[in-house]
Amino acid sequence: MVKELCVIGAGTMGAGIAAQAANAGVPVLLLDIVRDAADRNSVAAGAIERLKKAEPAAFMSKAAARLVEAGNIEDDLGRVAECDWVIEAIVEKIELKHALYEKLEAVRTPGTAISSNTSTIPLDRLIEGRSEAFARDFLITHFFNPPRYMRLLEIVAGPKSDPALVAKVSDFADRAMGKTVVRAKDTPGFLANRVGTYWLQAAINAAFEQGVSIEDADAIGGKPMGVPKTGIFGLVDLVGIDLMPYLKASLTGTLPANDPYQSIAHDHPLILKMIAEGYTGRKGKGGFYRINKEAGKVKEAINLSTGDYAKAAKPVSIPSAAQKDLKALISAPGVVGAYAWAVLGPTLAYAAGLIGEASDDILAIDVAMKLGYNWKYGPFELIDRIGGADFVARLQAEGREIPAILTLAAGRPFYRVEEGVRQYLGADGEYHAIARPDGVLLLEDIKAASKPVLKSASAALWDIGDGVVALEFTGKMNALDGEVMKLIEKTIPLVAEQYKALVVYNEGSNFSAGANLGLAIFAINIAAWGEVEKLVAGGQKAYKALKYAPFPVVAAPFGMALGGGCEICLNADAVQAHAETYIGLVECGVGLIPGWGGCGELMVRAAQSPKAPKGPMPPVAKAFETISTATVAKSAANAKEIGYLRPSDGITMNRDRLLADAKARALAMVEGYTPPAPPTFRLPGASGKTALELAVKGFRARGLATPYDEVVADKLATVLTGGDADVVDTVTEEQLLALELREFMTLVRDSRTQARVEHMLTTGKPLRN
Amino acid sequence: MRNVVIAGYARSPFHLAGKGALARVRPDDLAADVVRGLIARTGVDAAALEDLIVGCAFPEGEQGFNIARLIGLIADLPLSVGGMTVNRFCGSSMSAIHYAAGQIQLGAGEVFIAAGVESMSRVPMMGFNPMPNPALAKKSAAYLGMGDTAENVAAKFGISRAAQEAFAVESQRKAGAAIAAGLLSDEIVAVGGVEADGTPRPGTTAEALAGLKPAFSANGSVTAGTASPLTDGAAAVLVCSEDYAVANGLPILARIKSVAISGCAPEIMGMGPVESSRKALARAGISVGDLDVVELNEAFASQSLACIGELGLDVAKVNIDGGAIAIGHPLGATGARIVGKAASLLKRTGGRYALATQCIGGGQGIATVLEAI
Repeated sequence: MVKELCVIGAGTMGAGIAAQAANAGVPVLLLDIVRDAADRNSVAAGAIERLKKAEPAAFMSKAAARLVEAGNIEDDLGRVAECDWVIEAIVEKIELKHALYEKLEAVRTPGTAISSNTSTIPLDRLIEGRSEAFARDFLITHFFNPPRYMRLLEIVAGPKSDPALVAKVSDFADRAMGKTVVRAKDTPGFLANRVGTYWLQAAINAAFEQGVSIEDADAIGGKPMGVPKTGIFGLVDLVGIDLMPYLKASLTGTLPANDPYQSIAHDHPLILKMIAEGYTGRKGKGGFYRINKEAGKVKEAINLSTGDYAKAAKPVSIPSAAQKDLKALISAPGVVGAYAWAVLGPTLAYAAGLIGEASDDILAIDVAMKLGYNWKYGPFELIDRIGGADFVARLQAEGREIPAILTLAAGRPFYRVEEGVRQYLGADGEYHAIARPDGVLLLEDIKAASKPVLKSASAALWDIGDGVVALEFTGKMNALDGEVMKLIEKTIPLVAEQYKALVVYNEGSNFSAGANLGLAIFAINIAAWGEVEKLVAGGQKAYKALKYAPFPVVAAPFGMALGGGCEICLNADAVQAHAETYIGLVECGVGLIPGWGGCGELMVRAAQSPKAPKGPMPPVAKAFETISTATVAKSAANAKEIGYLRPSDGITMNRDRLLADAKARALAMVEGYTPPAPPTFRLPGASGKTALELAVKGFRARGLATPYDEVVADKLATVLTGGDADVVDTVTEEQLLALELREFMTLVRDSRTQARVEHMLTTGKPLRN
Repeated sequence: MRNVVIAGYARSPFHLAGKGALARVRPDDLAADVVRGLIARTGVDAAALEDLIVGCAFPEGEQGFNIARLIGLIADLPLSVGGMTVNRFCGSSMSAIHYAAGQIQLGAGEVFIAAGVESMSRVPMMGFNPMPNPALAKKSAAYLGMGDTAENVAAKFGISRAAQEAFAVESQRKAGAAIAAGLLSDEIVAVGGVEADGTPRPGTTAEALAGLKPAFSANGSVTAGTASPLTDGAAAVLVCSEDYAVANGLPILARIKSVAISGCAPEIMGMGPVESSRKALARAGISVGDLDVVELNEAFASQSLACIGELGLDVAKVNIDGGAIAIGHPLGATGARIVGKAASLLKRTGGRYALATQCIGGGQGIATVLEAI
């Protein structure tokens, strides 16, 4: 494994890569040039300071931030001898890279991997003039910005690169840095940027040629195609319009003259004018879109034919059939179908034409576009959605060249499921099973190959092998409701009898957004208090049944795990969290308090913290602070700092490895498993509540809490301090749950809570009443 | 009655709680270093000490277990020397001095060290387990936050935000000038290699302060810039009978002329110095006009200005080397600091009378009148 890493070049990419390596727990030496003779590390040190303030955060924890050390290439280059991997991320100038490699060659330890983060320079040119030994240890590792959040890593190995070393770097990038490694050939732009640049250029050209407004272009070219809602022009605004000529120059300069990109890569005078005038996108004065502050923060869009800005218009409406059906989209009447095809037809054909040249298989290109450009579907998955035969027919009708892989497919889909195994069409014309790397287990594969053990309207139970089952939420946003709870109740006797352990896991966009507020507000509106109480009590019962079940339960959260989604983790025996887990008890934001055992569980964790002072108040105060401010962790490591996760809970860096890690953790607990003993609490009662009230009054005075925040905080304080309990009493978990239920029901009947819930459902934002 | 004198004063550097250079220093170790330093500087015979009295506002955690006794043991005082912890919140170590003076006059000892300590980094204000009496909290402002009391004083006595900020700028300027002139280094005992205060911000300007957000009330006038910072620090004075000091050649700074305590409404606790100072001045038989040196603890600029106004103090004589807004306010240590400081200033300026006074959370004031020898 890589034990120490050096990143040379502290620009956006280099610094971001350094931060992600630190997030992996590895010490990183970050080097840049000497700009100030008195403060020789100032460039790298400045970059580290910027990383600490970056939004979204570059570091996952304070501990990670401490792992990056600043240095400079004049004084510290010799220290690369201690490192197992050196990543070069300096400016894209070959002569500077050559000069650096020459110096590196003199000081490095042979066998130390050296990689370049170049996005434009071929590997064979990078190693010109270097020794055989250097070439053996050299590869390209192309990260995407921002390196913490973009999962794609393109790796290019040269003919001389040592396969074992490439494997070592790939493995570290995968397991420790959480990247999905895609192998690319040494061709210009590699995979994602090659397709992505073509796609953007084709889409921009088509908008100019067809006279499509940018609002319409983004509406057609965004969500209906499974592309992020920024669409095309919104995306270019985001990455910077001035990057376009640079990418174009780099690709036209390195691609062969007959590459299809060459014929579409032309400049648009309006765009050149925008760049010249500082309209470079969100980082500049504005871009294709701008916010007009003088007009009162009005979003404006540029008119591609006149160059004038006007209030962004409501885009063309996409026929409902075309919103999800790609075939319907490209054949829709008018601008919708015409523009959709003008973007997709050439782009998908271009991607298909790269098989053989840039990649040997379709998988790499699909993964690259999904993880590098956040497309929901890769190009070949999109072709499948259109229908390969129809797609080819339309290309032929337009007299376009048919890429070899499409001819080879002969109308067959690129992906299929055969006897429960997901397969892809290889360049040899045969189907091959999609092989997952060791330690990668995907529910997607299991679901393709089997039927659920149990199923309800909002949850399902899957056999994931070796005696372990996975509980999957299946509702919208994986929201939790009575159907989930019922399934849990059915699951427990079944697992106790036939299986060894349970993991709570799914593969949605987020683990769970919490309780289904839509259902709750329905019950509230008809004053069905009994139903609401049944839902809350049922959730408490189901979660505690999981906690005390006679088998290990491991929760595997990722993305958002909020409210009830957080509480199921708190009630599990252990948590194996993806590094990008945003977990929190956010109930107070909608005028409620945690109702499924979150209050007690958070206090238990606070009390177990070795840093917590003794006495009845510290766990109460800690839980109160966390819950009343609806704190959401910014990473799994941060969740440990806050106290949602225990120090012993596991963190998986690579999303694809989460299920396998959670399963392994559950299996490790099977032998000799005994359910936990219920906790008891010694709570401070009215005295402690008074202390919390004083604190809340202070927040109110400072304008940090609203009048209704004070009411909600009061109920929370009642629960956390034990209600009428005195400090000499012992409060049982059951008593605390009853208190939690009672205060929850008081709040839910309050019209101000109802207003908060409705506001959240309609706007997605908290109401500060 | 026997005369009681202050025959030595020393303190640790003062540093911001949490992020300052003393955040990792245990309070008992911190105070022990100061006690050792005081003994070394004064040359007092430690075996002659009757008792070590230590003020501390939150005597729990590392400040618990009767910290005074532990400080004595850490500082290797003879086992014969006693140790007692005193808590009167911010007035704790001034009370320690008063207790020592009373004991001397009672004939219950000749030589005492009265000290104070607070690590606001390591033991939070309100302690680890704040559990106020619910009934009292309803009927009284006993538990009201200190910042809120400062707002109350500002409102009641019409102290504008601009006036508070001008006062804070002046406090910082005076501290900066004193540091530059080397006037503070004499009183500081280095702790773990830390030799100077970390608290003062001598370059503070009114413009910078005007940009700060109110710290306690959205519409209030008190900011972090016009409040004393949370501080780590310790201070100690040598209190002994005048006869003993003279006989043993100890460096007498000043004689304790009178002392006083008074209570006031908790919601305006910052006004505590007014009544306690009046009582102490009356007991000393002098008036405000007779004072040459005043050390008025700057818990907040609002209460300092209100007290100066109510007492009719001459601003030029108040906190000559800067006050707590600049230097810091380690709760338990402040009383010993300002009495030691006032005594030193009498000597330095050649003045005759000095007053050291401070406000106390919960609604009290405490005052000490000193007289030059």
